[in-house]
Amino acid sequence: MGNDRYNVVIVGAGPAGSTAALLLAQNNLSVALIERGKKPGSKNMFGGSIYRKPTAKIIPGFWKEAPLERTIITDELWLMDRTSAVKAGFTGLKFNEEPYNKFSAIRSKFDPWFANQAVKAGAKLMTETLAVDLVYEKIGLLKKKVDGVKLDNGEVIYADVVLLAEGASANLTQKAGLRGSIEASSLTLYVKEELALPAKKIESRFNLEPGEGSNIGMIGYPTASVVGKGGLWTNQDSISIIVGGYLNQINSKGVSPYQLLTRFKEHPLIKRLISDAKPIAYKSHIIPKGGYESIPTLYDDGILVAGDAAMMVSGRRGTDIAMLSGLYAAETIAQARAAQDYTAKVLKGYKKRIMDSFFMKSIKKSKNSKQYYKEHPDADFLLTKAANDAAYRFFTVGIEASETKMKKIKDEIFGMQPTKKTLTDLYYGIQDWGIF
Amino acid sequence: MSNFLKAEESPFDYIKIKPDDESHIDIKNRKTCLKACENKPCTYYCPTRVFAWDEESNQIKVSYTRCIECLACPYGCPHNNIEWHFPKGGYGVNYSDQEDLS
Repeated sequence: MGNDRYNVVIVGAGPAGSTAALLLAQNNLSVALIERGKKPGSKNMFGGSIYRKPTAKIIPGFWKEAPLERTIITDELWLMDRTSAVKAGFTGLKFNEEPYNKFSAIRSKFDPWFANQAVKAGAKLMTETLAVDLVYEKIGLLKKKVDGVKLDNGEVIYADVVLLAEGASANLTQKAGLRGSIEASSLTLYVKEELALPAKKIESRFNLEPGEGSNIGMIGYPTASVVGKGGLWTNQDSISIIVGGYLNQINSKGVSPYQLLTRFKEHPLIKRLISDAKPIAYKSHIIPKGGYESIPTLYDDGILVAGDAAMMVSGRRGTDIAMLSGLYAAETIAQARAAQDYTAKVLKGYKKRIMDSFFMKSIKKSKNSKQYYKEHPDADFLLTKAANDAAYRFFTVGIEASETKMKKIKDEIFGMQPTKKTLTDLYYGIQDWGIF
Repeated sequence: MSNFLKAEESPFDYIKIKPDDESHIDIKNRKTCLKACENKPCTYYCPTRVFAWDEESNQIKVSYTRCIECLACPYGCPHNNIEWHFPKGGYGVNYSDQEDLS
């Protein structure tokens, strides 16, 4: 009694939830957007990049207003050993012109702005509110349909349809019976620090003009023996440094994530990039990396799942895919409203949209490399070692004929492990490292 | 390796947490930790060391007020022995308003 009713209740004001809230409110549906944090983004550890193209599909020209850090013009991949790094990279100055390519961002600043766009369109944002369960209505003798959510204060909010954009925990998704348990081998755990440094220092260290940013992904040394990645990128007045890998390997190898980060920061090539920078934030979160097999059932009567809760992550892409899944969910819900039918019959259109998307093709494809790393967890380490040893030799000035030198390098690389293995390591490595 | 509990600089200097009155983390069966769990991985994979082995009482001590809600613990426990749920709305870690800390 006295409990509210909306067309749509959205659980979670992250990129998936706020996207759907914005688009549905623009379509004149009544929307409640529920967020457990003090503000949207309060619980979010992501830093990384906001990609221009997918984000502009939802808010055209968003970069003019959104709180973004820097325009990324440089992307590098470092294969790191203890005293060296083989670097591949690209700097494109065109990326600093409209319409840009991507931006560094801190989601605890970006998310409140993004959710506020939905509020301005008419969505009702409820912060410090935790949804703990779903409520159902009977629609026939044996069937029931989701009819709303129950909050931690006991209140119920009713809705024609509930969109779960609740993040990696996928708590209600599990309660709704849409997914099984999540294995540690399907999850990566990352820790991150933000280190304050004046903009001028950042720009001189990374060879940037004001407003330009740089992004470095790292393989090998940073994760010790765990399959995972390290990374470092520039914000406006801070540097973000991140490291992590598969949770089951962190466990079996006895690794402490905080110590991993400390060790990474002490690497001589990292130390000089972050010297004098003062830590201002320490954040951590799991990232679902289960791939195709771990994707839950995406819909049922009166309910849809989007974003991390739906395991919508491919390589480094998560935020933009979450937004796109929110977009598809909103399109489907608008159709359901037009048909006045919120059962699975209409909502299944959401699954079709997701399955036909470009990112689902990538998620499907990543299956092979995930399996390969399961069988060969040392692949990145061996490649990195070989590349650095070879580079040391190549760049060392000696007193031998260049043919002799090249032969030695070749023998060394191919002597480490069978050539075929090195090539397969490289093949899957390139697939897995992806775009940073 | 540095133990950040003892180190001069602790990440807790720059983490903002509003702890709830009651714990949102529980060990389901304390005997399992003692008898079945050799390595006690929760004592190292947790990024803020919420879990510590208490030699005196022979059980895992849970410092839920250190939790930054990374969600690793329920999935990382090899015996599925950690009960974790979200802190109440508005409680727990808060990454926004970082400026309030300084």
